[in-house]
Amino acid sequence: MLEKPSPPSGWKIPVIIASGIFTGLALFSLYISRATSYLGDNPETCVNCHIMAPQYATWYHSAHRGKTNCNDCHVPHNNVFNKYFFKAKDGLRHATIFSLRKEPQVIFIKEAGAAAVQKNCIRCHKDLITDSRLLTVNTEIVSSRMERSCTDCHRETPHGRVNSLSAVPWARVPLPESPLPHWLNGEKNKRSRKQNRN
Amino acid sequence: MKPVKEIVKNNPLAGWVLFLLTVVVVFLLGMLASSIIERRAEAVFAYTPLLSFSENEPNSRVWGEAFPREYSSFLRTTDTTFRSRYNGSGLIDMLEEYPSMAILWAGYPFSKDYRQGRGHQHAIEDIRNTLRTGAPSGDTPSPLPNTCWTCKSSNVPGLIAAEGAAGFYRGTWEKRGAQVTQPIGCADCHDSRTMNLRITRPALKEAFEAMGRDINSVSHQEMRSLVCAQCHVEYYFNKNITPDVQYLVFPWKNGTTLEEMEKYYDDLGFSDWTHGISRAPMLKAQHPDFEVYLTGTHASRGVSCADCHMPFISEGGQKFTDHHIQSSLNSISRSCQVCHREETSRLVADVYQRQDKILENRKILEDMLVKCHFEAGTAWEKGATEAQMKEILNYIRKAQWRWDFAAAGHGNSFHSPVETGRIIASGISMAAEARLRLSRLLASLGSNNEVLLPDISTKEKAQSAAGLNMKKLNEEKAVFLKTVVPEWDKQAGQK
Repeated sequence: MLEKPSPPSGWKIPVIIASGIFTGLALFSLYISRATSYLGDNPETCVNCHIMAPQYATWYHSAHRGKTNCNDCHVPHNNVFNKYFFKAKDGLRHATIFSLRKEPQVIFIKEAGAAAVQKNCIRCHKDLITDSRLLTVNTEIVSSRMERSCTDCHRETPHGRVNSLSAVPWARVPLPESPLPHWLNGEKNKRSRKQNRN
Repeated sequence: MKPVKEIVKNNPLAGWVLFLLTVVVVFLLGMLASSIIERRAEAVFAYTPLLSFSENEPNSRVWGEAFPREYSSFLRTTDTTFRSRYNGSGLIDMLEEYPSMAILWAGYPFSKDYRQGRGHQHAIEDIRNTLRTGAPSGDTPSPLPNTCWTCKSSNVPGLIAAEGAAGFYRGTWEKRGAQVTQPIGCADCHDSRTMNLRITRPALKEAFEAMGRDINSVSHQEMRSLVCAQCHVEYYFNKNITPDVQYLVFPWKNGTTLEEMEKYYDDLGFSDWTHGISRAPMLKAQHPDFEVYLTGTHASRGVSCADCHMPFISEGGQKFTDHHIQSSLNSISRSCQVCHREETSRLVADVYQRQDKILENRKILEDMLVKCHFEAGTAWEKGATEAQMKEILNYIRKAQWRWDFAAAGHGNSFHSPVETGRIIASGISMAAEARLRLSRLLASLGSNNEVLLPDISTKEKAQSAAGLNMKKLNEEKAVFLKTVVPEWDKQAGQK
């Protein structure tokens, strides 16, 4: 049986302080990385890492802006557990690569991501591909329907052709601002950088 | 398992291991936090160039060091080679093309010289060269106020910040010849810290206030038109706001349509000048580009000026806003075809069709107005009284305001063909009314014959019919350009 670890009575205060430092640092890391935002679906979460700016900007200027957020296409929606499992798996890989500065200059989608996107295209646009008037039986059904993905043809939907990290240097993207409260960073009365970004 | 206390007590080494483990974990956690902070700071600074110039730095070359792509495309506004059917990027002598304009503007500086301006980079050169600004030298002042510099230069935001709007407008045009030397540039539209768009000209802010709108709460997309609307609008100089100052005002208090602005001027009893031949109290429409655009189909769908005149361009894999501000007819693939997936020739034909048809009726109105002025002049000669002429002159004023409104805007017949057609049609009916009343008046004065017009088939003939001594004006200007202007440049260079 594991006994409740407790420090010698003389060490109690230093240990409380030491674990306070540890917990504080952990909380600070959660705050600075906006950890709670990752639980939701807000597209601004995805530009917590600024290298996602071109993807955000191109989505923002596409027709998909009106109906979708990033997660609608990029994580599975068959059930809520799978959604968060996929999110956690993808997110941790992104976080690791971003922290190690191993991001490529041009980001390509991986296989698992592409599969999720394909399923999500169908999830919303089902009526387009199951319209009985368009259903025909022919010999090419496998090669031209089953084996291809929507984006094989709809290449510019919705992110356009712009995809390098430096492709849209001045795109107006809601990147995270200074994490400091305004009274601390001297911007209290100054115009916010975010102004006009609408 | 024994309590930790015991383990540590029995084996001091275990205590050290625990201590070091905690040190390593906290150290790594600190490193992670630091990495997150670094990359977040990157987000703030990676897209903000290191700037070391002042808020209103007039020299665009200084800004250009941080924005080489935008700056080099902006330099292409020096190009003068593009020509469309009716306009282009070079100087086009409009009095040469339409000599009757010299009659319509008789008694007003535009009858001396009206050349279609070139790109933004030529703004200073063009305003120095035009005969309208006169030939100030020694004790002879320019006929125009400093207000005329307002839209010509990126020196203006700094000067207005230092001296206030009225302070900047005060005095005649030559007073600031050595201060205003940079053409239109970065500081006119951009915030130096964030590069956001900003409004630097007080007249637009004041016009918004007069309309009860707040210019600080407009969207970015609206700003992409409003920075242009700082200058490409109808305006007049009000002499009653500050004593001895010709204060720049946009007549938008009642709204921005032709009739609303006309009502504003009528209520004010304002006229730009009294016509040299008909003595009508005239209005000069400047270039109501923005106002006419607002009535068009592109504006109602939220397309901004920059969408067509500063389209995006991709160079070296980077997408940015083309700062070569120009006619969209010279960038059809990037301007029109982004939305309209049609053949270039078809799109150009659509534009020219609108321009041709509008011009057809504009010329009819132009001819009628020339006749109006000469017939009114004849009526005065035959002894018509002020009371007899009052209504007629008012019709001439209104008809020519409509003609000018349609003609002076740079792209009106494309920006809003229906509205421009409507304006010209109502102008024609007013000119017809004026001529009908004039012929009745002339008949009652004992003259039932057609009023014979002088030969105005060329610019020279029209200008002499308008009573101008062009030889003198040109000679004086040549001396001014040779002696005064180099002096201005020298003084500006010394600073």
